[in-house]
Amino acid sequence: MERAFRERLFFALLCLSVPRRDCRYIEDNEVIQEELFSVLNSDLKRELPDASMYRRPLRCLDMVALEGQFTFTAARPQRGCASFFIAEPNKVFSLFYDHVNINCRGGDFIKVFDGWVMKGQRFPSLQDHPLPLHQRYVDYCNSDELSRRTGVRSSQNVFMLFFHIRHAGDGFTITVRQHLNPFPCNIISQTPEGRFTMVVPQQHRNCSFSIIYPVQLQISAFSLGRRSDPALPKMSVTGCSEAGDFVELLGGSGLDTSQMSPIAELCSSFNGPTQMKIGCDNTVLRLVSSGRFVNTLTFSYNLLDQHDLNSVDGFCFTE
Amino acid sequence: CLFGAGLLSLLLAVESRTGSRLSDRLQHLPLPILLRLGEQYSIQLDNSKQDPSPVRSDLWSHGPSPAATVNRALQLQLTQRKVASSEGQQEEDSAEKEKRSDDPPISLDLTFHLLREVLEMARAEQLAQQANDNRKMMDIFGK
Repeated sequence: MERAFRERLFFALLCLSVPRRDCRYIEDNEVIQEELFSVLNSDLKRELPDASMYRRPLRCLDMVALEGQFTFTAARPQRGCASFFIAEPNKVFSLFYDHVNINCRGGDFIKVFDGWVMKGQRFPSLQDHPLPLHQRYVDYCNSDELSRRTGVRSSQNVFMLFFHIRHAGDGFTITVRQHLNPFPCNIISQTPEGRFTMVVPQQHRNCSFSIIYPVQLQISAFSLGRRSDPALPKMSVTGCSEAGDFVELLGGSGLDTSQMSPIAELCSSFNGPTQMKIGCDNTVLRLVSSGRFVNTLTFSYNLLDQHDLNSVDGFCFTE
Repeated sequence: CLFGAGLLSLLLAVESRTGSRLSDRLQHLPLPILLRLGEQYSIQLDNSKQDPSPVRSDLWSHGPSPAATVNRALQLQLTQRKVASSEGQQEEDSAEKEKRSDDPPISLDLTFHLLREVLEMARAEQLAQQANDNRKMMDIFGK
């Protein structure tokens, strides 16, 4: 392929990779590693030969932040395995079964969970996920042939795979792809530091950004898409009971936002930094939206240093 | 042309430094992290019909090879407990109950500390792969 034609093709692919609708709400988020060549890589991966796909064995307990092909082969009976998958905040996953050799009738299973679940707590919570709980678990053994070929798609940037294989030598191969999600809702951060803008475009839904680290949080802007109501407080520790659109700051020791402690709420639009130190295992910003407005929330965060963590007794402090 | 060459050399320099740092990091990640894992975790099923006796695996390793360390560290036992029944009843009506799978929801008992450890390993793998992809892209541009 001639170099000049190749360069023009790359530029065209770069232009096509940007969504056309609501582009003014697409934010450039620093926590998303969308460098020039990473964008080109995303598009080119669909064109490159199959030999260039990332491949590696899947471990019984694993965390995967890449797209590619993953194979698990049981070296011995593996009773109880789980793999976490996490992408950048603006991505969702699709999973396809390339090859499965398990004994469903013998008790083997492969289950995909739409979200993360840990110690019985799920993210997103039951209230914040679009699907009921039983639809969030997709069992390969209980799926028909068409469903197995179609694959499974996640609703947010995280999902989990549970599997149980009794016989050595049995296993499976899956292909995991990542797709752009222009308005991400319900996100777990891959990193303890970053900057993000969450946009909810006139949707009646609640969106959470979860940071599984104790962090110093700085909220730089919160917009409800309308003029701020002077009757409503900008920030309240008692709750924004009269506002249909507001931001909750939550802290806790689990994944489920409905079981976390509210730290503060932001009731009306403002510009200007608001800084807090939240010493919890999980820090969540939850944007509650009525659907009447376009709501945006811009914030940054970084890991609390050891001095901050050691200076206060007890668990999950705020400052 | 000069700008492109300069950009190319800069990107290659950044990628090579990143790649060498990451490869060093990846070589040292699995063994130290798993040796520090004096924690127990298990997967729990919410189905009372299966074996109800939970057996937790000690993840402590006594210094074998990295592969053996991983294998020993990842011995899990399925246990079962009942899911909070009130949680299921609030969210489902009779039509959804008919569609519900007989299989119980599954959860994983894992500490945030261990979760962050494996997340850090996954991020290192991601960055290493990104550096590898950037190098391939540079090779394509350079031809």
